[in-house]
Amino acid sequence: MASFIQLLVSGLATGAIYALIAVGFTLLWQTSQTINFAQGEFVMLPAFFVLAAMNAGASFWLAALIGIALSIVILGVLFKVIIIDPMLKYGVLPLVISTIALSLFLKESVKDFYSSQAQPFPALVPAIDIHVFDAVVSTQSLAVLAVAIVTVVALNLFLNKTRVGRQMQATAQNATLARILGVSVGRMALYTFLLNAVLVAIASILVTPIYLAKFTNGETLGMAAFIAAIIGGFNQVRGAILGGVILGVLDNLSAAYISSQYRGAFPLIILIIVILLRPQGLLGRIEERSV
Amino acid sequence: MTRLAGVVVTGAALAAVVAPFFLKPFGIFLISTWVVLTIAAIGLNLTLGYAGQISLAQGAFVGIGAYTVALLTPMGVPFFAAFIVAGLLCFAIGWVLGYPALRVQHHYLAFVTLAFSTLVFLVLRNEEWLTGGIYGIAGTPRPSLFGWSLGGARDFYFLCLGVLALLSLATWWMLRSPWGRAFVALRENPIRALSLGLDTRRYTLMAFAIGSSLGGLSGALYAPLVQFIEPNSFTLNLSFNLLLMVIVGGSGYFFGPFLGALIAVLLPEWLRVTEGYYLIVYAAAVMAMMAFCPTGLLGLIERTAKMLRGRRKAAVTQALTEGAGP
Amino acid sequence: MTAVLEVSNLRKAFGGVVAVAGVSFEVRTGEILGIIGPNGSGKSTLFNCVLGQLQPSAGEVRIDGKLTTGMRPCDLNRLGVSRTFQLLQVFPQLSVRDNLILAGQEHQGSMASRLFGRADAGLGDAAGQMIEFFRLAHLADEPAGALSYGQQKLLDAAMAFMAGPRLVLLDEPAGGVNLTMLGNLRERLHAYHAERGATFVVIEHQMEFVMALCTRVLVLAEGRLIAEGAPQDIRRNPTVIEAYLGH
Repeated sequence: MASFIQLLVSGLATGAIYALIAVGFTLLWQTSQTINFAQGEFVMLPAFFVLAAMNAGASFWLAALIGIALSIVILGVLFKVIIIDPMLKYGVLPLVISTIALSLFLKESVKDFYSSQAQPFPALVPAIDIHVFDAVVSTQSLAVLAVAIVTVVALNLFLNKTRVGRQMQATAQNATLARILGVSVGRMALYTFLLNAVLVAIASILVTPIYLAKFTNGETLGMAAFIAAIIGGFNQVRGAILGGVILGVLDNLSAAYISSQYRGAFPLIILIIVILLRPQGLLGRIEERSV
Repeated sequence: MTRLAGVVVTGAALAAVVAPFFLKPFGIFLISTWVVLTIAAIGLNLTLGYAGQISLAQGAFVGIGAYTVALLTPMGVPFFAAFIVAGLLCFAIGWVLGYPALRVQHHYLAFVTLAFSTLVFLVLRNEEWLTGGIYGIAGTPRPSLFGWSLGGARDFYFLCLGVLALLSLATWWMLRSPWGRAFVALRENPIRALSLGLDTRRYTLMAFAIGSSLGGLSGALYAPLVQFIEPNSFTLNLSFNLLLMVIVGGSGYFFGPFLGALIAVLLPEWLRVTEGYYLIVYAAAVMAMMAFCPTGLLGLIERTAKMLRGRRKAAVTQALTEGAGP
Repeated sequence: MTAVLEVSNLRKAFGGVVAVAGVSFEVRTGEILGIIGPNGSGKSTLFNCVLGQLQPSAGEVRIDGKLTTGMRPCDLNRLGVSRTFQLLQVFPQLSVRDNLILAGQEHQGSMASRLFGRADAGLGDAAGQMIEFFRLAHLADEPAGALSYGQQKLLDAAMAFMAGPRLVLLDEPAGGVNLTMLGNLRERLHAYHAERGATFVVIEHQMEFVMALCTRVLVLAEGRLIAEGAPQDIRRNPTVIEAYLGH
């Protein structure tokens, strides 16, 4: 029972991180028809921004802010303006291919220009073990969980209670209708990219202490984001959160019971099962195209 | 095909036939690699360029084909039988993978093939009893044809070239048939195609399965070519490289894969993972290409040719339009 | 006379917006039925539901008595139902001839036989005849994308007829077509109808086109059927006039 609680807590923490990444991914798809195959690398990269800032002398918290700011500029604004906007007129396929190339580009750039070795990354809080009913839970997991929950709640408040947030949702559901109602669709799209940049930066800071900063982080994290988004239902933000949490918990539980050699296979098998049995995901609706 | 294009293709074909007589063994190895990769690229071109689906598992299918032959031939199975088994196996796996994934929109196939690629790598690496794990399989023998050994570099090259020629012919036949028309319809206007009775799902699935089987056939030739295979040769990197090949060459063009594979092979140190900055440059080039010319090099060439013929054509079209109707 | 198409209580809602609010009608064999109505009356949504492009929220569609609600468009086509489109029409990179062959090829044999058979699936002559019928002979080998809008509309109709359908649904065939071409189109539709005895259902805005072509007219407004009858009567119907003027 004790180990189950441990696994559950760490699973929720991982799941919360997956949820943040998956939500950003889903928002980009909903609002701008952008399937961002480089989402994993987007999570890998901000940690390196932080490390670089720290190498230049900044304290961890300052470096974290710098990392988030750089993320907003590069992964938000530049990504949209330089890569996405010129491609929209060609349709979804060239866009997906471009983000595939981007993921390769980012991964190799970090490998070649920073380091191919895993770098340690400072945790948010010192790792102390707390004892809860016999179970040993690390403060790190709790901190991650806390930050992730706060972020998700803040996100929900933003999307549902603020005018801009509601406009973003309207654009995501029906851009044409939103435009008729006076919403600046182009601006909403930009905000979505900025929002994604913030989410991936936060996720990066939360997850990198565990994984260490390595150029290959994007592979597993990206895959986790896609699977979480698909499990939840590709076009639902709530679904992305649910999918992320489910994936995190199942992943951690399975780690205890499946051989380490096939550790990475479990999420992939979940993906294949979901696609086979319920391709629209848990919360998604089967989409139709009218003419 | 225009007359100029016909001349270029014939010239290239002739060059391909005489080249090995002027090259040292490493050069022959390089062009053999080009031939083998072109086969995989032709398959991916079918999936991507004709059916409009992204497959990130073509490298895995090459791996499956390679391991199939590497395991069967030492057991006494004739190469050509193992070759066919590799193709059929990959066709079946492609069908099974694609069937559920293609029921949905949103390019789910991309994610499924991504996951599949990783799974295949894990199996190849972990199941040492079958695949030799990280130690790989060495010494895959090269076949003989009617008692004539094809072990030599030049002889094996001609075998590969022959297979490429046959598969190209088969692909050309398929594209010339009503299936080819169906693929164009699928790509240009799937909604209209559906309303005309065209089962878009079936055709897409077929393209993906055939494309995957071509990947397997490519792998079947790859094993005796390099004579040592290991899981690291068939990671996502190979799938990415094949994807880039198809795109740079020109996706949806018959000769795109030939051109794309040639470029990829001429860039140095292709197969072993010590590329240096090559991948960064390649990835950046693809992004630029997608922004300006998503139809690749052949697309660029075609667009330029059209522009040059443009004025004459515009005049003719205008005359026809004005002359239409009662 | 039997009904080729029966629509019963068809309803389609998109979230809170009800586009079609329970429509029922019948189309008899050999009719040319027109469906008119102001913008937003649900005509296109109704069409798309009948043709399998959309899943109705409720209601039934029957073709020749067979339940076809929610069937995929390609399966409906195999049952002898064809359509033209308001916007997406032809395959621009294929020639006119190839467009027509494509339109009929899926009805020739099986998928396998099509791979190993003739490149034109045996439809070379049929395509030639259709080209003649629609007077597109001088454009036969041009890429369809090079045709004028009106010519593409003709080709669109020709494609819908290639498989010899029993029921043809035309979605705003007259939209954006100049007067000369319009007359040509209407005349060709009449000729096809007379020759083959097919049943037509036409959605249209342009009153004159509908009045000249159709034998019976249904009027839709705000997702409901508000009137039905012969064209001359509909033209004078006060409910109909108000529906149009009120918008």
